[in-house]
Amino acid sequence: MSLFSDLYNTLAKFFRTSDEQIDASKSVATNRLKLVLMQDRTNLTPKILEQMRSELIDLLSRYVELDKDLLDLNFEQEGNQVALMLSIPVIRAKDEDEIEAAIKEHEKAMIAISQQNDENESDENSEIEESNDSSEIINAEEDDSTDPSMDISSKSMKNKDKKEVSAPEEIGNNPFKSDNMDLSEILETSLEN
Amino acid sequence: MTGRVIVITSGKGGVGKTTTSANIGTALAKSGYKVVLIDTDLGLRNLDLLLGLENRIVYTIVDVIEERCKLKQALVKDKKNPNLQLLAAAQTRDKTAVNAEQLKEICETLKEENDFVLVDCPAGIEQGFQNAVAGASEAIVVTTPEMSAIRDADRIIGLLATKEEITSVKLLLNRVRPSLIKSNEMMSVDDVVGILEIPLVGIIPEDTGIITSTNKGEPIVNDENALAGKAYRNVAQRILGEEIPFLDLDEPKGFMAKLKNAISKLKVKV
Ligand SMILES: Nc1ncnc2c1ncn2[C@@H]1O[C@H](COP(=O)(O)OP(=O)(O)OP(=O)(O)O)[C@@H](O)[C@H]1O
Ligand SMILES: [Mg+2]
Repeated sequence: MSLFSDLYNTLAKFFRTSDEQIDASKSVATNRLKLVLMQDRTNLTPKILEQMRSELIDLLSRYVELDKDLLDLNFEQEGNQVALMLSIPVIRAKDEDEIEAAIKEHEKAMIAISQQNDENESDENSEIEESNDSSEIINAEEDDSTDPSMDISSKSMKNKDKKEVSAPEEIGNNPFKSDNMDLSEILETSLEN
Repeated sequence: MTGRVIVITSGKGGVGKTTTSANIGTALAKSGYKVVLIDTDLGLRNLDLLLGLENRIVYTIVDVIEERCKLKQALVKDKKNPNLQLLAAAQTRDKTAVNAEQLKEICETLKEENDFVLVDCPAGIEQGFQNAVAGASEAIVVTTPEMSAIRDADRIIGLLATKEEITSVKLLLNRVRPSLIKSNEMMSVDDVVGILEIPLVGIIPEDTGIITSTNKGEPIVNDENALAGKAYRNVAQRILGEEIPFLDLDEPKGFMAKLKNAISKLKVKV
């Protein structure tokens, strides 16, 4: 192969490298993997997710009227983070009086629950407490846009948040990091056929 | 003497645990260290084949545990290097023949007279895994750059983090194919390290020489010219505490390669 045809082929290859090609199977794999590891690493079983969902409906219903059946709570990839995405179709916003009434009603219900707790400290109640913890993960951001559906996302659950297990010191810092094989170099140099 | 006990594990099967154990063990022994390799894959032993020792096995780990022989009697010396010894897995016994406590005891005894005890772990996260890690204070997690292998590696890393005795967990990325990484069809080393977040101890290229070396019963580290052999020798040196740069798996050779290299660098910057 002559120098020029080789050069030509090489250049032609570069120009064919469209964005779609760069977004090839590797990044699909990386993204899918991040998502599935996120789920593997947390203790959020479908049951707990469901509980979270229903508590969120209760909470948000005090302020807006929602289409409960279309509410969607899922893990999603956002850039290089995994986010917990909550998508809620809003039918209409409630007015102040309605909100106040709803909050009062909720407070009454909470008092009733805590009285019940005092009476019998059963296992079930501790379960309710646990689920309250998990809903704290969600960071509701107020959004007064007129968009009928709003997204509430929590970024607090990143890849790094591995389960409750605490890794030994050494895990996570990489003494070889600086020596890591420079991948761009491999990419650059493997043009040889 | 108190040797280091290192378990070679992976989660997913067939990613190269046994190949890695045989090669690191051979390389360490060649550097003058006393090494014992333990095959804990009961019923599916392979380490003897990779080392070419299959005809020399008389006693196995189960014979030691059931006291049919002394531990020393069950250790098979390597043909070339007496520094390297193998404790073979039983081929016929059921997997419940060994428990974690017994394996731990064997490791404790062996590390008194050896520099390294390398434990080749079976695939999976069940009893075989629990046994293999029981006596170890370090772990090497082997994976390939494939989704399912990485996911299983992550699971193993999580389990290892719950073991107090294990103070070091490192990653060995096997069967790396630069040409696939280049075309964005395979996850890169950085991708995998970024996801698993543990330090890297080795990058081993895909190498057909590994198949022929298995056929001959001679680990590829003995082949001075093989790239995978060099990569495994580097792993051994890193285990010994040396800072060895990772192999550039695709070194440019002639003028043309350098020219292409220069051109592609331009492209990368664009
Ligand atoms: N870098 C490599 N290049 C080419 N082939 C390889 C490489 N590493 C391993 N192999 C091949 O992959 C196969 C599986 O390897 P090996 O037996 O070491 O895996 P393992 O993790 O011990 O498997 P198991 O889980 O069954 O114990 C073997 O046929 C081996 O020759
Ligand atoms: Mg094996």
